[in-house]
Amino acid sequence: MSVNENQPHVWVLPEDDANRQLANEFHQWVPWDRQRQMQVLRVARGWNKVLRLFQSVHVAEMKRCAYRLMVLLIDFDGSEERLVEAKATIPVDLADRVFILGVWSEPEALRQAKLGSYADIGKAMARGCREGTDRIWAHELLKHNASELGRLREHVRPILFPPN
Amino acid sequence: MPIAGKPSALLIGDNGSGKTTVGLALEILQRIARGTNRVGDLVKPKDFFLGRTDAPMRFEIDVELKTKIYGYSIAFEFPQGLQALGVKDLRVFEEKLTVDGKPVYTREKAQVHLARSGQEKEAKFLIDWHLAALPIIQEQSRSDPLFILKAWLARMLILRPIPSLISGDSEQETLQPSPQVTDFGAWFAGLLADQPSAYTKIDKYLKQVIPDLKDIKNPVVGRDSRSLVVQFSNQQGSVNMPFEDLSDGEKCFMLSALVLAANDAYGPLLCFWDEPDNYLALSEVGHFVMALRTAFQSGGQFIATSHNPEAISRFSDENTLVLHRKSHLEPTIVRPLGDLQVNGDLIDALVRGDVEP
Repeated sequence: MSVNENQPHVWVLPEDDANRQLANEFHQWVPWDRQRQMQVLRVARGWNKVLRLFQSVHVAEMKRCAYRLMVLLIDFDGSEERLVEAKATIPVDLADRVFILGVWSEPEALRQAKLGSYADIGKAMARGCREGTDRIWAHELLKHNASELGRLREHVRPILFPPN
Repeated sequence: MPIAGKPSALLIGDNGSGKTTVGLALEILQRIARGTNRVGDLVKPKDFFLGRTDAPMRFEIDVELKTKIYGYSIAFEFPQGLQALGVKDLRVFEEKLTVDGKPVYTREKAQVHLARSGQEKEAKFLIDWHLAALPIIQEQSRSDPLFILKAWLARMLILRPIPSLISGDSEQETLQPSPQVTDFGAWFAGLLADQPSAYTKIDKYLKQVIPDLKDIKNPVVGRDSRSLVVQFSNQQGSVNMPFEDLSDGEKCFMLSALVLAANDAYGPLLCFWDEPDNYLALSEVGHFVMALRTAFQSGGQFIATSHNPEAISRFSDENTLVLHRKSHLEPTIVRPLGDLQVNGDLIDALVRGDVEP
């Protein structure tokens, strides 16, 4: 029995192990009484497999469960078309509930850019999401997420980081 | 164990690699702090690796509490001369307690040197070689480093629960549960006696995991005994259930609730939980582990061992340690997962047996 089914909740589908780790470290900073509203799913092993898995499994599940939001966590691999390409796979009626985020190249680049460990980066991302600040999200490797981040803050923040 | 500064850490490795032994080693330090001072009750000659009694068996821990580093170590020896005489117990070779590197006491064999601050003179006295000094030396106050470290070690939560043995009955109160947590009822009673507000945390956590939980009562059922009763309710009515009738997984939820509340109430604690994913539904494992990791972000340290892919997936390479030994004839080596070359998905690599230091 999943206690999330009848409450708004966020599922994160990571492309690979590095994205999974980032998502986990973010998840740790979700207040404990909201943690069950988030679930990091098993890695899809490739950005195109994220999209395929989304289409083959999660589209139907999201249509069944109106409370579900999904974050597709993919690497952009420096491609300007990646977001457009990914968005094209999302049915129009689900577009408001699906978010596509990722590092411009790959997560390891964040560590190489001296942003700290995945634990540090995940914590900073959670703080940015909670407080609405852009400190880490404005970084060169993350700033392309701005439009999705805006939507994410509007829809996901009230679920994971509700105001006190 | 490179776990300093990490609020949570995961130990992974093959069967027999030494993960559970980490908990057993901590348990020896804990038993000393809880008052077991006879060496023969702590370690046995068989505990020497490959029977090598030519070098001492040493246990060491460094703990940061309120910005001070407390260091405790004890080494046991089993000289061949004693073995020839038919003696069966080990004895203390060295023992030491330090705070920020300065000794509180040191000991070599029977001789104990008690450092004193200010005007007091250093004290020396002899102690039976077969007794650990930590439980014997009298602390001066609750701010005495001896008291602080002993209390912390004694309250570590080293957990290897066996839910089928947890009944919920108790005849006393404790803040020091046993590894199998067969004294769950006593711990529940002790925690609420120490901090009645802890029930709020227990209740909040459990109601997320078990939505139809109403409350937990611990009524007196005999002259000196209590027995936990769990009440569930929904629109259809309510039902009371003796604690012992809960499922194994539900008992683990109860246990986790107490761990979270205990760390808040009388932490910061070290919680070593050997395979916390045991007995849980797959859909619960991730939430269960993540709740524990998050709870210890604000203080204390949570160490888990696991073979479960869902549990392992909730940690990062940075807080996962791989334990490995090539054979039973070689010692365990410990490496941060982040230092190893893992190709592709970690779980796949573990299934393939390709994660080796």
